[in-house]
Amino acid sequence: MTAVAAMEIPRAPAHGRAGRLAALLLFLGAAAVTGVALGSSSMPLDRLLPALVGQGAETDRLIVWGLRAPRVLLSALAGMALALAGLLLQRATRNPLAAPAVLGISDGAALGAVGFLFLFSDAANALTVGIYWQPVAASCGAAVFAVLVAVLARGAGGGPVGLVLHGFALGALAKAGVTLLMIAGPVYRASQASIWLAGSVHEARWSDVAVLASLMALVLPVLLVLTAHMDQLLLDDHSAEASGLPVRRTQALLMALAVVLTASAVSFVGAIGFVGLVAPHAARLLVGARALPAIAASALVGAAMVVMADILVRLAFAPLEVPTGAATALIGAPYFLFILFRTGRAHA
Amino acid sequence: MHDRSRSNEEALKLSAAAAGYDERLVFSDLDLSVARGRVTALCGPNGCGKSTVLKAMRAMLPLREGGVFLDGKPLSGWAPKALAREIAMLSQSPSAPDEMTVADLVNLGRYAHRRGLARKGTADREAVAAALAATDLPDLAHRPIGTLSGGQMQRVWIAMVIAQAAPVILLDEPTNHLDIAHALDTLSLVRRLSHEEGKTVVVVLHDLNLAARFADDIVFLKEGRVAAAGPVARIFHAQSIAEVFGIHCRVLLDEETGRPFCIPLAARGG
Repeated sequence: MTAVAAMEIPRAPAHGRAGRLAALLLFLGAAAVTGVALGSSSMPLDRLLPALVGQGAETDRLIVWGLRAPRVLLSALAGMALALAGLLLQRATRNPLAAPAVLGISDGAALGAVGFLFLFSDAANALTVGIYWQPVAASCGAAVFAVLVAVLARGAGGGPVGLVLHGFALGALAKAGVTLLMIAGPVYRASQASIWLAGSVHEARWSDVAVLASLMALVLPVLLVLTAHMDQLLLDDHSAEASGLPVRRTQALLMALAVVLTASAVSFVGAIGFVGLVAPHAARLLVGARALPAIAASALVGAAMVVMADILVRLAFAPLEVPTGAATALIGAPYFLFILFRTGRAHA
Repeated sequence: MHDRSRSNEEALKLSAAAAGYDERLVFSDLDLSVARGRVTALCGPNGCGKSTVLKAMRAMLPLREGGVFLDGKPLSGWAPKALAREIAMLSQSPSAPDEMTVADLVNLGRYAHRRGLARKGTADREAVAAALAATDLPDLAHRPIGTLSGGQMQRVWIAMVIAQAAPVILLDEPTNHLDIAHALDTLSLVRRLSHEEGKTVVVVLHDLNLAARFADDIVFLKEGRVAAAGPVARIFHAQSIAEVFGIHCRVLLDEETGRPFCIPLAARGG
């Protein structure tokens, strides 16, 4: 045994995994600064930098800190939450097509949030309970739809594509629910429907940023504890179980975390689609399948996606406010079709 | 550590066990025991319940009646990791992502030995290195598994099971999809594990001659019952094979290995 013990396997070349993560972080930073600088009145660096550190003109400071910074931060946090939710769902279901929007969980969360607004607003459109209940309501909606899709897909079978079909059907149902509640509610609320149906960050407030950041601060440590279990789920069910992983319990836990992450994002920015699908795939291409780097890379890619989508809709369609989700769908939907095609062929 | 000196004692035992899937009962009132430190082959016709017995032994399938006992202790209510440290198991068609490296996959076998947040430790690295060495894989350690041949891949899965460092190893048709050279390779390795490291191995095998060549004991299963069980020399004969598989055959002794082998002649009644 001693000869073997002394014999260390040669270390794997790190393949610049850390370097790629650092590059992603830089990219996100640059996107965030761009997001603060650009808008209906774009701001050159010599005005932006002083404003960022609290100097410069009053209006610049107001635009930067009052409007754009929370918007960029909210975009980044929501992107992270959705990307991580997608990663967890893809791991838990071993389905490359799984994502919060694809499985109807985003729309379920939106229905929960809109239902909450419908039930707990008074005639003056003021909430009769605290706003922090909104993520809770969204979580309930998301959880109901997650359980429904899981139960229906298990009962019917049909493999990876079957799961997606059930998700789409349930998502359509939830969307219809959101639309109905919007129309049934006061007229001015119908204008907000686009937020809930397609997702938008244009009403970002610091209080939103604070709540979403706190939720992320709660969930991230749990995710880090779960990395070893997530790695074990790379094996098939049987092998994972034999290696000592309580498979069903772990899957349920990952799904529950995905529900909370989705609901947190959706309660503040609505159902921005395709981030949860595309970001984990991009992350896997960049850093591989291991959970820890995959978590970091998915979060960074997701954040950058939403920040950039927001910049795109602000610039390309100004002065109109196009939902951010429209831009993410523009990139995400073709990619989704590509994976759908590949998965369908692999399981044919 | 387990006391290897108590060889020939029961390591694993099914007692009056019944199990099945949904409506279908695969076996009932089954008594079967596996001797410590030996290679036991489970053989029988298709659908006789070999894989189901293996799953029941690993407590992956809830028993409807009876019990499984490991070293005399009932195998129910164990924590998943504690159980995995005692019994490792390789299923018929394991899978993992193609881009995963050999070393990373073998390392997954160490899961049951990690506590909470603990990172990969020296013991883990040594166990992985030893498992790779035992399966002749160190040169491939950093290759993505998608690039390996079927025989190499089977060695990787066995390396993962070895890294789990459990005294009992269950293998479900490990020679499936392997050509004869790789099958011989795999089973020689299994035999070394048992005879040099004292592992108790239960292996489901389709090929009777491979079972007779590499196993110490054979359990013949038929329709969810034990038709015959014991040391190869005692139960591997034309009559028991005829009874279990429904074929006529001739059983001869290979003088070089001292092992019996069988030449199938015809299906009975055919």
